[in-house]
Amino acid sequence: MIRTNALLDRLLGRINGPLEPGRSPPFWLLVVAAVVVLALLPTFLSRYELLNFSNFLSNVFLALGLCLIWGFGGILSLGQSAFLGLGGYAYGIVGINLIEIHGNTWLALLAGLGFPVIVAAALGWMMFYARLKGVYVAILMLVVTLLIETFLNQTAGQGWFIGNAHLGGNNGLGRFSGVIREPPSLTLGFGAETMVVFKGKTQAFYYLVLGLGVLCYLGLRAFVNSRIGHVLVAIREDPDRTEALGYDVRALQLSVFCLSALLASMSGILYVSWGNFITPNVFGVFYNILPVIWVAVAGRKSLTATIVGTVFLVWLSQKLAIQGDIAFVVLGFILLAGMMLLPEGVVTGLGERIGRVFDRLGIGRHGARHGR
Amino acid sequence: MDTLTFIVSLLYQYADTIAILVLSAIGLFIIFGMMGVINMAHGEMMMIGAYITSFSYYAGIPTPIAVIFGGLGAGVVGIVLERVIVRRFYGQLLASLVATWGISLILSQGALLVLGPLIKSVPTPFGSAGSDDLTFSYYRLFLFGVAILLIAGVWALFKVTRFGLRARATMQDPGSARALGVDVRQVYALTFGLGAALAGLAGGLFALTSTIGPFYGQNYTPQAFITVVVGGGAELISGLLLSVLSLGAIKTIVTNQVNILLGQVAMLVFALILIRLMPSGISDWVERRRLQSRRG
Amino acid sequence: MGAEPLIATRGLSKRFGGVQAVSEADLSLGAGQLRCIIGPNGAGKSTLFKLLLGSLRPDIGTIHFDGRDVTRLEAHRRAHLGIGVKFQNFAVYAELTVRHNLFLPLSHQHRGRAVEREIDDLLARLNLAGTAEKIAGSLAHGQKQWLAIGMALAMKPKLLLLDEPTAGMGPEETEATVRLIRTVNAEGVAAIVVEHDMAFVRQLGAPVTVLHYGRVFAEGTLAEIERHEEVRRIYLGATKLERPPRFKNRQT
Repeated sequence: MIRTNALLDRLLGRINGPLEPGRSPPFWLLVVAAVVVLALLPTFLSRYELLNFSNFLSNVFLALGLCLIWGFGGILSLGQSAFLGLGGYAYGIVGINLIEIHGNTWLALLAGLGFPVIVAAALGWMMFYARLKGVYVAILMLVVTLLIETFLNQTAGQGWFIGNAHLGGNNGLGRFSGVIREPPSLTLGFGAETMVVFKGKTQAFYYLVLGLGVLCYLGLRAFVNSRIGHVLVAIREDPDRTEALGYDVRALQLSVFCLSALLASMSGILYVSWGNFITPNVFGVFYNILPVIWVAVAGRKSLTATIVGTVFLVWLSQKLAIQGDIAFVVLGFILLAGMMLLPEGVVTGLGERIGRVFDRLGIGRHGARHGR
Repeated sequence: MDTLTFIVSLLYQYADTIAILVLSAIGLFIIFGMMGVINMAHGEMMMIGAYITSFSYYAGIPTPIAVIFGGLGAGVVGIVLERVIVRRFYGQLLASLVATWGISLILSQGALLVLGPLIKSVPTPFGSAGSDDLTFSYYRLFLFGVAILLIAGVWALFKVTRFGLRARATMQDPGSARALGVDVRQVYALTFGLGAALAGLAGGLFALTSTIGPFYGQNYTPQAFITVVVGGGAELISGLLLSVLSLGAIKTIVTNQVNILLGQVAMLVFALILIRLMPSGISDWVERRRLQSRRG
Repeated sequence: MGAEPLIATRGLSKRFGGVQAVSEADLSLGAGQLRCIIGPNGAGKSTLFKLLLGSLRPDIGTIHFDGRDVTRLEAHRRAHLGIGVKFQNFAVYAELTVRHNLFLPLSHQHRGRAVEREIDDLLARLNLAGTAEKIAGSLAHGQKQWLAIGMALAMKPKLLLLDEPTAGMGPEETEATVRLIRTVNAEGVAAIVVEHDMAFVRQLGAPVTVLHYGRVFAEGTLAEIERHEEVRRIYLGATKLERPPRFKNRQT
């Protein structure tokens, strides 16, 4: 058995809880093993493979945001990728303008994180305080994202500059437009000595994504198992009941909506840092349906399932994309099959089966059961 | 241009906008009003209608029949989809949304895969007329007429026919309707089919004015969705009418004064405001106001 | 009893589309008092209930609670002012554990280990000891109702709003519920109970308000109400004001 000291116990107490499956020592062993494998991956992969894998991983935040708002909050948003796009564009525009003046992208990062949250707050305020039915929220977000796409697609002309950044129409921000300035990769540090440029093909970028991913995973686990998490799930189950129990349901929905936008924007900023471009495509139907597919198929009520499922499905889509246009059709079928046959999610279902096997083998689950 | 021409031109644009909104949204409205399901594959029903219309036309079938075939074809597809997939998700609004979005993905990408990015478009009938300041297309006026006919037709269908009676009973309270001998599942299937057929019909009609591709319907879905959300699901015809008239007005005015894109944006912003003020939709709000003023 | 009622509605009215659900309802209850609200189906009891708890806003009229005008106050704030609610349908979170159910109201006042203790205490009082880890939906029907009442009590309310607390219960459970409400009432908690079950109303022995077509039709003790000609007629001629058996076993 694993001996834990008091600090580790307290930590485990925060991130283990009844609302996220997977708490036993064997589970955490698996997680640690997975992280170790991921950390060692760069030594085994070619530059090209690493480049791709970094991209896969950076989608995780988008998926986690949707998992939070839909799986835990019960609010389906069909426009999560809009926040990815707003984050990427805001970061890119500010970055293009300030990179040479400051030599770093701190302000751009702030803009990339802050702008989508402000938009989310405005939209959320309008939707939640109107007590809009869930279906309407979903549709409205889709319509908003499509409108942003349409708007950005017609910004090709010479007049569409924000400072030195050309919006580029359907070419977006980046070198395609023939203009020299492309959005910079994340350039962070304190003073010239510690400055790191996180370009997509570097190990630095990979470890940044991995590190952020682990932090977010642990942080979100603590969040959903906290008091707020318990209230959020109650809101998902029955908002009226929760309100009658003294909770300001709209304020909480709004907050979680903003948090999910923040997570999506992280994916957006990483995307721009990775490839130094972003196009209005990210606001379109496909980019918005992807996280829905990942989360719905993997298991939306579990953070762990979401991460595992997302990485797998993104990898699968890439493999299929090489075959041609068939990728989306296959994904569509996977989504339908998932919704009809395994509504709780494939990874969740598998995880439960594995858990039961462990139970039968007597491998301890009794330790961290009431971890709250 | 002089005032009269300007007014006529504005009215023409208004009629055109209304026609497009009505035709795009009426199928979605019926499905949503009956079952509370937002059919995300609505655009693909329109696409199927357009494709069938095009194929029929080039197979030698006269245009009007080709359009009707488009509607019927989409209706059949709708009934099949309802039987096989959609009916498993009644009562689960969000799940049905996701499932129908999956269908949408399969149909549109499948069409791209199998039939390529573009198919032959059909020429616009009737031609156009007008002077230097003001041209209008007879076909667009025809569409306006069709829109009105459709509204009247749907109203009559629900008010007068036996199917309509059964359908309204089911909308009000499926449990009671079932207890009174109504085959609720059949009503749902037929309603979904009707909604899909109307979408296909719209698709076929619009096909005579634009290029046709796998994502054809997705041009119309945003405005169809907005129209349904603003109208609410309660009162079918009044909801649709009030929603279309108000949204159409904003869109027409802004498009006329600025450009078509900002017209769309203005329509969306207006819709958001309306929703904030009247979350249950327009028709409910109007009812309440009217009855409140009566008691003084 | 002080002169000021704990809760008072004046001219409360609410309309849905073509139906006037509640019409100029005047109701008042003093601190620590009990009241039953009865009436035929569609009389407006549920709507009145929702207006009191705050999930609906009235078209016209006012509600005053504990000296404050709460007509436009959100439901979650009313909960903190001292209104506890037990819903008719979906009275508990069926998919969540009993512990989670009770955690929600109790965690306003308590943190950490203290919440766990409060949960266990409350469960013991509700005769539900040992059920903390069970999924609430798996409890027996009567137990679910008690859990729901427990959740309403958890925030130490001044007024309990109970919607059909004995729906689907047998005679013993009904009796136990009456006792529970009486015990709570003895501690000074007022209660408004919307009910169909006349056996319960009789056992509770509280004054009765009869609703009909959204209006307050009659008020008085149960004995007075039962003798009232008009009231007998609005219940479709049933002489003992019993509901038709069909509704007795309605699931919550």
